[in-house]
Amino acid sequence: MNKIMYLEFERCIGCRSCQAACRECGDHEYKERNYVEYVDFMESRQTYPMLCMQCKDPACARVCPANAIQITEEGVVLSAMEEKCIGCRNCTFGCPFGIPKFDFEQNKMYKCDMCYDRSKHDIAPMCASVCPSDAIRFIDFDEMQALRRRRTQMNLVEGKKPQEGNKWQYVPEFFGVYSD
Amino acid sequence: MSQYLVKEGVKNLHKPGEKLITTHCAYCGMQCGMHIRVNEKTGKVVGVEPRYDWPTTNGKMCPKGVTAYQTIEHKDRILRPLIKKNGQFVESSWDEALDLIAYNFKKLQSEYGKDALSVFGGVSMTNEKCYLVGKYARVALGTRYLDYNGRFCMSSAAGGFNQTLGMDRGSTVPWPELEHTDCFFISGSNTAECHPTSIQWLWRAKDKGAKLIVADPRETPTARIADVHLDLRSGTDSALANGIMHILVKEGYVDEEYVAARCNNYEELKANVEYFTPEYVSKITGIKEEKIIKAAHIYGASPRSVVMFARGVEQQSKGVDNVALYTSMALLRGQIGKFASGVATFTGQGNGQGGREHGQKSDLLPGYRKLTDPEAVKYISSVWGIDPKEMPKPGVSAYEMFDEIHKGNIRSMHVICSNPAVSAPNTEYVWSAFKKLDFMVVSDFFLSETCEFADVVLPATSWAEDEGTTTNLEGRVIRIRKVVEPIGESKPDWEIMRDIARKMGKGKHFEYENPSQIFEELRVASKGGKADYYGITWERIDKEDGVFWPCPSEDHPGTPTMFREKFATPDGKANLAVVDWKAPGEYPTEDYPHILTTGRVVFHYLSGNQTRRVDFLMEQCPVPYAEMHPELASQYNLRNGDKVQLTTRRSHMTLDVRLTKAIRKDTVFVPYHWGKELAVNQLTNPCLDPQSRMPEFKVCAVKLNKA
Repeated sequence: MNKIMYLEFERCIGCRSCQAACRECGDHEYKERNYVEYVDFMESRQTYPMLCMQCKDPACARVCPANAIQITEEGVVLSAMEEKCIGCRNCTFGCPFGIPKFDFEQNKMYKCDMCYDRSKHDIAPMCASVCPSDAIRFIDFDEMQALRRRRTQMNLVEGKKPQEGNKWQYVPEFFGVYSD
Repeated sequence: MSQYLVKEGVKNLHKPGEKLITTHCAYCGMQCGMHIRVNEKTGKVVGVEPRYDWPTTNGKMCPKGVTAYQTIEHKDRILRPLIKKNGQFVESSWDEALDLIAYNFKKLQSEYGKDALSVFGGVSMTNEKCYLVGKYARVALGTRYLDYNGRFCMSSAAGGFNQTLGMDRGSTVPWPELEHTDCFFISGSNTAECHPTSIQWLWRAKDKGAKLIVADPRETPTARIADVHLDLRSGTDSALANGIMHILVKEGYVDEEYVAARCNNYEELKANVEYFTPEYVSKITGIKEEKIIKAAHIYGASPRSVVMFARGVEQQSKGVDNVALYTSMALLRGQIGKFASGVATFTGQGNGQGGREHGQKSDLLPGYRKLTDPEAVKYISSVWGIDPKEMPKPGVSAYEMFDEIHKGNIRSMHVICSNPAVSAPNTEYVWSAFKKLDFMVVSDFFLSETCEFADVVLPATSWAEDEGTTTNLEGRVIRIRKVVEPIGESKPDWEIMRDIARKMGKGKHFEYENPSQIFEELRVASKGGKADYYGITWERIDKEDGVFWPCPSEDHPGTPTMFREKFATPDGKANLAVVDWKAPGEYPTEDYPHILTTGRVVFHYLSGNQTRRVDFLMEQCPVPYAEMHPELASQYNLRNGDKVQLTTRRSHMTLDVRLTKAIRKDTVFVPYHWGKELAVNQLTNPCLDPQSRMPEFKVCAVKLNKA
């Protein structure tokens, strides 16, 4: 897999297509693994999507006493293996992004796996496929680097313009997540 | 021909045992491309797969689109015809239902004349069906009373475009070109929520430095990313547009050469906008002067710009004026008919564009022909095989049909693909009209609020059980494919209309076995009209990613960019709008001190009859709410989550309060997708635009009380 997930929070329009689409991924059993939140609805309609960062050394896997959370050779952190998961929920507490969720009926955790059955064939995960505003993208590493450079160039040319709607200048503008 | 279309090099996930069928979404005018996943063994719909290679949307979908397939085999589907007996719906056979309809239709017509019947159409269905609704009303039933729910949606845009440009095609520019635009002036459109998949084009342009100006009383997700957000008071668009034009004229931003060569009324317009100084406009609209000036300079200085608008400016008693004025803004800058620039309205309903071109409107015939034009009547009569004398005269607009019911002129109504019990303004008046009808028929695939008033409900198919074409918001005619066989005993609307026509003794005019025969007839009927589909075939649509009308012959490439050479007016020149500002039908008074505006949320589609049945969407947005500024709320001691009673001159309702600073301090916003006691249209003002007969959903005066 040469591609990476690329998030641009500023673009999020809060439509929650990514959540709806997450449920549609074949292996996801109609449960979404990502979320979209308002930063502060009272102030603005700015929302942000959050999905698994696919950490290189993931806290969820490190705190798992049963070694149930596997990492693929491409660096994708998978849901806990059904036969190994003991339902202790350590992973849900360990993850700083709140990604692993717990299914109390089946007594096992589930999390974003970058739609592994799609992304292993270089087909975009469902969330990145449908995101109407390209807040979530599945692109080549080089394309991501170009995008970052491009934005810096634009800021140089035009100056970094504060926009009227911006309430949170500190929301990081770039958040590249990559498996390599 | 293959059901699955994909371009070379584009990968889709193809699960074993499943097939993909290429089609488009059921909902809004974006008509996002998608593949529906069907289990090959069971034939059941199992999901959706993005259509990455559809040029308008690139595989993107909003949450409604992602879950659209769930309505197809939904447990609430009506599977058999329902007849109301002693106040209860009882399942019946098609024969019984159709006989009952024919008996009542004939009886009422013999007692009260032909015009005792009426048809209320809709445009969330294919061109073939929309075309047939017009023919069904005029030939099978022979009534003049025909209109459709586009009156609550697109008719002001149609009126404004016809006035200025001489033709009504929603967008003069194809969507993929928007990436190269330098400035967007968007008014009254929350495109991020209502047409989410078009926001990608705005962002692409923005990434290259394009500017975005948004006029909206709320800081919507669209306005949030604007360079200038013009937070105008609802119902003051005509003042704003005149004010912007004032600055364009004064600061020399007018493309004098273009205007001299291609536009009429320039001198009159100059005289008219002269007194719309920023100061005066600021007073009317409530926007800060410097914002108006900044917006006008950004817009004026941009080499390529697009003016876009939607229901926000159209659903007003001056909707046509607003559209004409905003269109004139684009004309002054010499933008229409050029690359990546022009004017566009966001079509609300799936086939809002195509459905209004082929004779569902009370005064129009297929191909955008006028019913008052004897030549048009003669031509269409010859296509339909009737005597031109039999062609009914123009009827009245959608909302006025309810007046006719109350007057006793309309005794029966057939509602097709529409839910006016939710979507019409002043709904209590509409509900009492339905109760007054002697006989009412509704075709739908879910039991809508309107169905509950009916004597007979006929089970129609959903969009995925029939084939045909729709026309998206760009004016691109596209292909809808059949995914599954009709569920239960449901039938496509064209079959229902054909069968009723047969029972009414007009079967010979409705000899169709499949939708492609209807499309062939539609091609001929539209030939030579303004909306000319004659050169469009289903094969061409597949091959060319849709064909843009007008397309008069099979070797014509279609018309992605409109008005390159001349406009469609008699003299080929556009008519600049010379319109003064007028106040909306209602404005805040002492008794009703605030403004109520209505709109949409991203999770629901129109009257919500489909989306309110989808679990995911209901989890996100189960009930309507009253959105207001904390400063307004504190005047009534209202906190987030409290109940508030909204009262207008029509009625009152109670809602939860949702506080946000992203709205004007004098405005309350309520989304409209719910029925009965949750319908905000109980409160809205049925004050109609004098030309388009569009009700004023967007502005009325309201009073608040803590409930």
